[in-house]
Order: sequence, then structure tokens, then C-alpha cells
Amino acid sequence: MNAEQLQRLGSKLEALLLASDEPLSMARLRDLLGEDLQSSDIRAAISALEAFYQDRGIQITQVAGGWQFRTTPEHAELVHKLWEIRPQKLSRSAMETLAIIAYRQPTTRAEIEALRGVKVSSQMIATLQERGWVKVIGRKEVPGRPHLFGTGKQFLVDFGLDSLKDLPDSAQLIDEDEIQQMVMGSIREHDYEETDTDEENPHENESQVDRD
Amino acid sequence: MIQAVQAKLIASEATPHALPPVQLDQFEGPLDVLLHLIRSQTMDIFDIPMAVITVQYLEILEAQEEMDLEVAGDYLVMASTLMQLKSRMLLPRPEIDEQGNEIDPRAELAAQLLAYEQYRMLAEELNELPRLGRDVFVRSIFPEAKDVQRPLPEADLDALLMAFRAVLKRVGGEVRHRIFSETMSVRERMTTVLERLRKGGIGLDELLADEPGREALVTTVLAILELWRQQMITVVQSEALGTITLLPKEAMT
Repeated sequence: MNAEQLQRLGSKLEALLLASDEPLSMARLRDLLGEDLQSSDIRAAISALEAFYQDRGIQITQVAGGWQFRTTPEHAELVHKLWEIRPQKLSRSAMETLAIIAYRQPTTRAEIEALRGVKVSSQMIATLQERGWVKVIGRKEVPGRPHLFGTGKQFLVDFGLDSLKDLPDSAQLIDEDEIQQMVMGSIREHDYEETDTDEENPHENESQVDRD
Repeated sequence: MIQAVQAKLIASEATPHALPPVQLDQFEGPLDVLLHLIRSQTMDIFDIPMAVITVQYLEILEAQEEMDLEVAGDYLVMASTLMQLKSRMLLPRPEIDEQGNEIDPRAELAAQLLAYEQYRMLAEELNELPRLGRDVFVRSIFPEAKDVQRPLPEADLDALLMAFRAVLKRVGGEVRHRIFSETMSVRERMTTVLERLRKGGIGLDELLADEPGREALVTTVLAILELWRQQMITVVQSEALGTITLLPKEAMT
């Protein structure tokens, strides 16, 4: 595909992305533009567009397996003014619950409660479900058959994620077993250290009586 | 009130690590409180000073004037866990794991805190992502394509008849209005008027002169008014109380 054709394709894509009210996937774009087009061509044209919109007020965002025009975050306040809206704030508890569901899905309410150390209200789960961020994706085959929660497509759309792989820091997530091992290892090390450094921690004496 | 303040002062004097007072509602539960205490004092999470942390934790709990019963339980369970750990730390350790190592009673708590801290941090990062409707926006007014394409709901004749029957029943079959078909049709008369106007303008008197009877007269006037409304004819009266002339629209141009 020559530069002129690419330019032409880019202009078509621009029109489609602006006119669509939801992210357009590669499959949908190929369907609209004609099957004979190569995905690689579409990708190249989108890259060119992305570069074009680099420093503009709108940009092409890759969300939920598709592309969409969005305003840039720096203009958030302006749009709030235009729409006369106040930025929605989510409680920390809702965010924590959402984070646990997002990173650990499928997960149960009991697991969320164990991780957070507090009860999780049905109200909060319902709020997350209403927004389409959280969905019941099944039941766990244990006594009581509790609901298994996962994230819905709207979660990706609203948080600007292309897929769950794009969750921040998901690669660094440490699971329970690793934490357990880490703790055991570290505590053991401390036990050895403490024999030398006991005097340096006088305020801890209370807790260390009878240990040596 | 004063007593409570005094009690708080005495309590904080009694501990070596007096902390700035905190409100429980700033926290998301007992783990959050413990992490705050540990991190703000740069304590080692793998070597939590149980005695100090227990005192501080209880202090925060006691400082609350009232506690939501729903959350109180979680905080109290942690309080008892802390006290239990504190006392277990004083005893020689009988628990030994598979490798023959002593199990630190604090291990489970440390693991729980680390796991929670991890999700607390992830929640913050998630919250910082540019969110649709808060930080970023998409075009907001959409053509209602779905509405246009949606086929009209199919008329259900049975339902309609049933509804009609129900209404009829309610009314009791009583006929309140009788409509007679008109012998004179306005529409028909409109055609006649237009036909007579084809040759040019005509006076109203002339037009109405040969109308038989009252009903015909009224109908013709109605037809004229209708034609006028539809701008098919023009009605002219050159002077006050003068003759009224009807003109076909074409004649004007």
C-alpha cells in the first residue's frame, strides 16, 4: 500500500472513529472497509493517525479491543464546565473492591472480605454492577455456591484499558503463596539478625521478653 | 466530653509513640489502620512490635465517640487478634513448620497486611487511570440509529379487540353520540367553487346566490374558508363593506 492509499485509508478511519459511539474493533473496521484490506494496513493507518493526534485535544485511544476518539485528560475541567458536571468520585472501599475483583477474577465476596479485612456491603457490589464494571460470571462449586465476580466490558471502556493485560502493574502482582514464603523467609532472617541487634531496638523489648 | 479529651491525653502520654490523632472513618478497615501505623512509623512489617502496635491500635479505637456497628465488629476482631499475638510473642514458640523452623505468630498477619497493601496500591493506580466521564470524554450526542432501525411493534389485533370490548363493556353499550353522514360535503363543494373560479374572479354574492337552502349556504362558506386556508383562492375586499371577490390563486400570479 503506497503512501497515498494509506493516507486515504487513514481519512476513512478518522471518519468512522469519529462517527462511532463505541470503540471499533479490527474485525468491525475490516468489515466496514472491505475484507480485502490487510489488518496490517489498517494498523499502519491507525498508527499514522495516532501520531497525528499526538499533541491535540483529542486522541485515538485503544480500549476494550477497539479504537475510539477521546478527549485528552488535560482538558477534563473544561469538559466538566461544558457539561456542568462534577467529576465522579469513588470511595476508596469501592476502588479497593474493584481492584481485587479486577486482579483476582474470578473471585468471591468472601475472598474480597478476607483480603480487605472488612465486610463488603451488597450495596457496594450493586453499585459496581450498575456501572457495568463488575459482573457475576458464575458460581464457585463450594458449599453455598457463592457468586464468582469478574469485570465487565464497561470496566475496560471506562478505565481506558485495551484488555485485562493492560491493568497497571499486573505483572508484578504477588500471589498469596509468594507473600507467605516472603514473610516466612523475612521473619526467619529477622530471627537471626535479632540476636545481634536486640540492643538497638529498646522499644521492642516488651515484645521480646523470653525469646532468647 | 472533657473527660474523653482528658482520657485521650493521658493515654497518649502513657505511650512512647504519641501519634497525631486520626479518625477511624479515614480508614478502610483494621488492616488499613495497622498499615498506617506501621508505615508512618517506618516499622518493619516482618518484625512488627506487637506491644506498641496493639496499644496504638486500641487507642485509635477508643478515641472513637461512636462506631458504626457494621464496621465495629471487624475492628474488634483485629483488636483481639493483636492482643492474642502480643501474648503469644511472650511465650516460647511451640509451633514448628515442616522444615523444623519455628513459626512466628506474626507471619499470618504480616502476609495479610502485605496482600492488602498490594491491593490498596493497585486500587490507587486504578483510580489514577484516565477514566471515561471523569478525565476523558467521548462525543456525547449520538444519532439514535437504534431507534430508527427498530421495527415498529406489530399491531396485535386480538389485543386491540379485547381492549375495545372491555371499553364497550364499561360504557355499557350505551351510544352517546350519533353521527349522521352529511348530505352536503365540504370537499365536494370546494371542487365546485374552484370550478366556478376557473374562469376568473367571482363575487361572493354571486357565488352564494344560487345556493339552495341554508345548509348548502353554510357548506359553501365552509368550503370557501377551507380553500382560503389552504391558499388555493384569495379573498379580496377592496373597500370596507364593499363587495367581496374570490380569486383563484393562479389569477394572482
